[in-house]
Amino acid sequence: MIANKQVRNIGISAHIDSGKTTLTERVLFYTKRIHAIHDVKGKDGIGATMDSMELERERGITIASAATFCEWKGHEINIIDTPGHVDFTIEVERALRVLDGAVLVLCAVGGVQSQSITVDQQMKRYRVPRIAFVNKCDRSGANPFRVVKQLKEKLGHNAVAMQIPIGLEADFKGVVDLISMKALYFEGDNGEIVREDAIPDAMLDEAREKREELVDAASLFSDDLTEAILEEAEIPEAMILDAVKKGTLAREMTPVFMGSAYKNKGVQPLLDGVAQFLPSPDEVKNFAMEMTDEEREVALTADPKAPLVSLAFKLEDGAYGQLTYIRVYQGTLAKGDAIYNVRTGKKVKVGRLVRMHANQMEEIETIPAGMIGALFGIDCASGDTFVHQGMELTMTSMYVPEPVISLAIVPKDNKAQINMSKALNRFTKEDPTLRTFVNDETNETIISGMGELHLEVYLERMRREYKADVETGMPQVAYRETITQTAEFNYIHKKQTGGAGQFGRVAGYMEPTTEADFVFENKVVGGSIPTPFIPACEKGFRKCLAKGPKLGFPVTSVKVVINDGSSHAVDSSEMAFQAAARGAFLEGYNKARPVILEPIMKVAVETPTEFQGAVMGTLNQRRGIILGSQDEGPMCVIEAEVPLSDMFGYSTVLRSSTQGKAQFTMEFAAYKQVPKSIAEELIKKAAEEKKNVA
Amino acid sequence: MADVIHLRERFFSMLKKDLIFRNPLRVMGNDHEDILPVGGFGAVLARAGLGKTSLLVQLALDGLLRGRNVLHVSLADPVRKVCLWYEEVFRNIAAQYDLQQMDQMWETLLPHRLIMTFKKGGFSVPKLEERLSDIAEQDIFLPRIMLIDGLPFEADDIAETLSDLKGLAEAYGLNIWFAVRTHRDDPVGEDGMPVTVSRVAGMFDVAFQLKPDGKAVLVQTLKGGKEEVPSTLVLDPSTMLVKNPAASQSA
Repeated sequence: MIANKQVRNIGISAHIDSGKTTLTERVLFYTKRIHAIHDVKGKDGIGATMDSMELERERGITIASAATFCEWKGHEINIIDTPGHVDFTIEVERALRVLDGAVLVLCAVGGVQSQSITVDQQMKRYRVPRIAFVNKCDRSGANPFRVVKQLKEKLGHNAVAMQIPIGLEADFKGVVDLISMKALYFEGDNGEIVREDAIPDAMLDEAREKREELVDAASLFSDDLTEAILEEAEIPEAMILDAVKKGTLAREMTPVFMGSAYKNKGVQPLLDGVAQFLPSPDEVKNFAMEMTDEEREVALTADPKAPLVSLAFKLEDGAYGQLTYIRVYQGTLAKGDAIYNVRTGKKVKVGRLVRMHANQMEEIETIPAGMIGALFGIDCASGDTFVHQGMELTMTSMYVPEPVISLAIVPKDNKAQINMSKALNRFTKEDPTLRTFVNDETNETIISGMGELHLEVYLERMRREYKADVETGMPQVAYRETITQTAEFNYIHKKQTGGAGQFGRVAGYMEPTTEADFVFENKVVGGSIPTPFIPACEKGFRKCLAKGPKLGFPVTSVKVVINDGSSHAVDSSEMAFQAAARGAFLEGYNKARPVILEPIMKVAVETPTEFQGAVMGTLNQRRGIILGSQDEGPMCVIEAEVPLSDMFGYSTVLRSSTQGKAQFTMEFAAYKQVPKSIAEELIKKAAEEKKNVA
Repeated sequence: MADVIHLRERFFSMLKKDLIFRNPLRVMGNDHEDILPVGGFGAVLARAGLGKTSLLVQLALDGLLRGRNVLHVSLADPVRKVCLWYEEVFRNIAAQYDLQQMDQMWETLLPHRLIMTFKKGGFSVPKLEERLSDIAEQDIFLPRIMLIDGLPFEADDIAETLSDLKGLAEAYGLNIWFAVRTHRDDPVGEDGMPVTVSRVAGMFDVAFQLKPDGKAVLVQTLKGGKEEVPSTLVLDPSTMLVKNPAASQSA
């Protein structure tokens, strides 16, 4: 077995369309995991190997982060292919959690775009060291040094070029390695032969200048190197490599590589860079939380002999049942072991262990600390921690955002009904940002998630993978209700219709709060409501929150204070006080000026400047408040806050008004009050729906 | 039928009036109008870090409270950072006046503000005019007050740039405030202004200078304003808000 030092767990993360799937494909080819090259949207009808799902193949995008394994010059590299669209961020974040390092792929023409910024922020959150690859140097308009500048300015990276391109656009021939000071050319049918040569004379000055910049930047991380520079001695290559690695691991330096994956240029030096500069599992500190000790952080050691700690980070439904991708952080996972799921408290036996290469797999006996593999036949959810029995450690819980959009789905027939529930069961296990429930009133199944595309992709997968044909309703925005002023209530619940009577009086007030969704405070003195009935009052109030009296949306940001009441020695009961609290809530709520809130999205549109006016127009028409426009050379970014309900279908509108040259990202910003006219429409719609149900 | 009095709207308009009235910047100009005339220029001069942007944002908020549309042009900071400035200054004002329902008030102001940022080398008056006409034609935004932060006054063609901006201001019925960064060793002209500004001072109606004085920062009037009253304003170093110690003493 290869020593831990030679292992690299990396992600390839980037903006959609910057060519990361093509790059991954080339990596697999040069590491001899595949024997032919296909393009993302293959003319030969075969997609790139990492895009294992048919749907991804069709759309030219990567949705699931399949883990794959390859070897390069004595190093074992596990690659997690991560999706680039913001709607799938949970996938990206989960992949980032298990990575030790990443390659940030950027387009030499498009440069750092808004999506790259989002992805980079996520990498920062998980403290992932990264190297950058400026792809598509063969395209017209390619300018890798502009991208290096953008990395510095827009992402705040200390980006340092490791190479300079030999020719650009159609003349792109190869790269000059600034450490070895050699020109590299990529020859053979698929660029598999790397030929070293002297740097062309015309480029010598530029190469020397850029090398000096590189050595200068690296010297910050190595005293030896600084000394060597001062002494003007010959600088050994190893010294520079060592300093760059130190800077990269400290996340204070981002080495930048250049090439064109599509034209088979510059990929092998990038692989060398992965091996040289990105950390091995030994060099990364990982922490788990001790469940028995208030989630105290515990450092893990990448020792294969220590007790097991591992994280299931991805589930896939294969032909042989559920495949669980797992990263072992400490200890060793071996076939036949009994391991313990911390979340469920269940013990499970490890059956088959495999190492994945997109859709093909290789049986293995063990997964030692630091490695990624997959196991078969284990029932768990993604994000579950598996440990050696007796331990109570869990890997850091991941941040899961609340869904903002929902959609009603109705299966077309009985068979579809069964398949749909199977599919939803699987998807919700895979992706915690996807939720599903049945609406009691309409009996429809509702799915909710992070955006239109997010839901669309799952619907497609349902059709293709599960043959579940469903009809969908209009997307529904997750509205909320709240109150805007303080109002008092004083409600008596009294019933005397034979048998035991019911009596309870609850008095107090309710007011808007920003502290939490619901705050309950008991200020009753002198026992006017007997203490045992106070929890019943709270329960009564809480029950009213799920469905607001105004339009039936969940109620948020309400504080209820009870300060008086009365009871009856015989007729008062928990039930009676719950009912009294419900009555009191209704009484107070209607006086407290209830309003409807809607989710407002932060939208950033990146567009060539000539379409700036047109884009602002489209946002303005959607009730958007334009915050500002930011000049970025030929492009500009328009930032706005727009209600989610008006963003449906925006990608089509944007495409047609900018000749397809603009793109946008959107994320949830806040809940805000809907304007009167919209509120009236909602009320009208709700009334109609009620009529239809009746 | 009698007009309905909307208590909520009335509440906000009273609140706004109150804030406008209590704004210490009022001593700079007339009580009810903009400090600058239409087509007028104002400048806030200071060394780095003394609070130029904060003062500029306070001038903008004063305009916003009076229902003016404000266009904030920044050649230095990204949109997000400028937004933060506004939020911070507004939060401080709200805290100072113990303002309730600050969020709702902020919501009423936000649609009246637009931020445009340019890269330092990427800014030109024709470019700005193009953007402006773009949004004005579609009736998206018609500014009354413009703020320009980060214009290099030391540039050789500054007089030309300013005169182009003057034309723009007059055409659109705007007034413009500039934040001007000065340096410790800038030579000072006869009018007390640094020469970089002094050579174009004729174009300005009003100019303030921020000057450190012990722990406080004084807001000095260099030109215009109510010249008969020497400015007694200071910037509170903890909140960067303008204060009028003289007024609070007399009160």
